[in-house]
Amino acid sequence: MRNFEDDPTLEDLLTADQLQRLNRMLSALCREPVEIGSARETDAVALEFNLETVGWLSGGSSEQERVAAADLVAFLMMFIAKYRLAANLHHDTTEASYAELQKQNEALRASEARYRALSDQLQDKVDEQVAVIKQAQMDLYESARLRSVGQLAAGVAHEINNPIGFISSNLKVAGDYVNDLRELVPDTDQNRELLNDFSDLIGESSDGTRRIASIVSDLKTFSSIDQADYTLCDVNELLSSAVHLLQTEYGHDVDILEKPGELPKISGHPSRLSQTFYNLLDNAAQALKLRESGTERGRILAKTTVTSDGIQVVIQDNGCGIAEDIRERVFDAFFTSRPVGAGTGLGLTVAQDTIRAHRGSIQIDSREGTGTRVTLFLPVS
Amino acid sequence: MADHSPEDNRLALKVVFYGPALSGKTTNLMQLHSLLNPQRKGELMVLETRDDRTLFFDMLPIGLKGDSGLDLRLKLYTVPGQVQHDSTRKAVLSRADAVVFVADSQTSQQDNNATAFGNLEENLEKVGLDIDTLPMAVQFNKRDLPGVVDEAELQQRWANTPWSPLQMAAALHGKGVIETFRVLLDRLYTEVDREFALETGHGIDRDTFIRQLSAASEEIRA
Ligand SMILES: Nc1nc2c(ncn2[C@@H]2O[C@H](COP(=O)(O)OP(=O)(O)O)[C@@H](O)[C@H]2O)c(=O)[nH]1
Ligand SMILES: [Mg+2]
Repeated sequence: MRNFEDDPTLEDLLTADQLQRLNRMLSALCREPVEIGSARETDAVALEFNLETVGWLSGGSSEQERVAAADLVAFLMMFIAKYRLAANLHHDTTEASYAELQKQNEALRASEARYRALSDQLQDKVDEQVAVIKQAQMDLYESARLRSVGQLAAGVAHEINNPIGFISSNLKVAGDYVNDLRELVPDTDQNRELLNDFSDLIGESSDGTRRIASIVSDLKTFSSIDQADYTLCDVNELLSSAVHLLQTEYGHDVDILEKPGELPKISGHPSRLSQTFYNLLDNAAQALKLRESGTERGRILAKTTVTSDGIQVVIQDNGCGIAEDIRERVFDAFFTSRPVGAGTGLGLTVAQDTIRAHRGSIQIDSREGTGTRVTLFLPVS
Repeated sequence: MADHSPEDNRLALKVVFYGPALSGKTTNLMQLHSLLNPQRKGELMVLETRDDRTLFFDMLPIGLKGDSGLDLRLKLYTVPGQVQHDSTRKAVLSRADAVVFVADSQTSQQDNNATAFGNLEENLEKVGLDIDTLPMAVQFNKRDLPGVVDEAELQQRWANTPWSPLQMAAALHGKGVIETFRVLLDRLYTEVDREFALETGHGIDRDTFIRQLSAASEEIRA
């Protein structure tokens, strides 16, 4: 492409038509006809413009005539060239400005599109966040409720301890009294039957109070009201009370098999450990519920073993398992695959946090439809 | 960018007079046109002015022939100084081989000088030229007016730039115009000789280059 400043040629400055007219007009002024062309004739005079020879003028009656005509042409050429230069420059700059404008326009359009996309996404993001917040709120509410229920249960358990104590000792004394009565009342069939029945009633009541006492003891262990901080814990005992509590909650729909190994005591936070065991057992129990019907009976295995540098707790179920696509997210706070109300979604996160606080680790092996095994490792010191 | 066509042994160089509006760029060119008597000199083309202001540009071609027959042309351009003509300035500045920056010495014009210099830097970059390597001379014009910034102060301010010392001029009275042009030719020669071997290839040494292109009318031509 030519630049506006490139030296113009004769054809740039005049069309063939204009050149012919110019030749005619000049010839009319001269004694002999003259002719302008780009080829150099023998007697031709150079047509100079801007130090540039743009053409040659030949003919005329004398050198003087040719020079005079050439001067006139150069003079005219000056104005034509000025116009050309201005026009070319104008064209160049207009084109450049237009190109610039187009570029800006494109950039503007692109950024507008970006903003539009962003604003569309924004709505989605807001909706998404609202859902997350709602879920989190519900989960928080749920966990707060559970916590207060737990505290209440622990408080009640504590209060129940005393009356259970005197009820059971009174029942024992009452049993002795029944035996005393056997010596005192006449030995008739009717009396014997009555006293036997009485003795059975007291025996059953004693059993009942023992069961109440055991639940109360589990509750106490579980919520560990008495132990606020790190102490030496008996993991088997903690796991066992969590198992009992779960059993109480789910009744005898689930078989829980306890396989406690010989364990050293470890330094830990008993109530948090209990909570963790309970959460894991609860997850297992839920997984059993969601199991496909017609499969073998639901079972949970709670096993502890000692390793070279710590202890291992395995909680295993033959429930529904965890789907592959959500396995990576199971530790996310608030993530739950269960319907709201069925679980806090905090279970595994809390479990992970607790185990980490004990410098241990947690591992989940699961196969959908087959079951899940959670293995906790806790270091001894 | 020097326009070299070896087939007809021609070399065309472009010098641009840049600066704020009304600093005296056109006056510089008019003075060069009337003061200079180089080997070859074309017509000064003043393209359309309105109210004394350049709308497009002015152009003065001058030239010299080397011993080798090299046809060396220098086209001197001015740009319109007003802000709104930036695209014209860019078009004229593109492919420049050298720049004369004409500043206005009046105290009131120092901001305009700075703005124009910034604009020069910016436009050079846009047209792919490097202000640090481009041959350039800086002239402070209108020294004849009262209320101009003190020369010592100006020289001191520019002392640590590649363009020191500054050229002082009163272009309207023809003072300092040729001197500025010679400083520019000197700096331009270094670059052009490096690229086109003016001295060894065409028998044009530094002195010839400067003298032939800037010979004043009253001086006897060599
Ligand atoms: N006093 C004085 N006026 C000048 C000088 N040089 C230029 N001028 C005036 O400043 C005005 C603008 O000059 P011009 O060359 O058109 O400026 P340009 O816009 O840079 O091309 C004109 O009125 C000139 O006469 C100078 O050296 N001294
Ligand atoms: Mg001007």
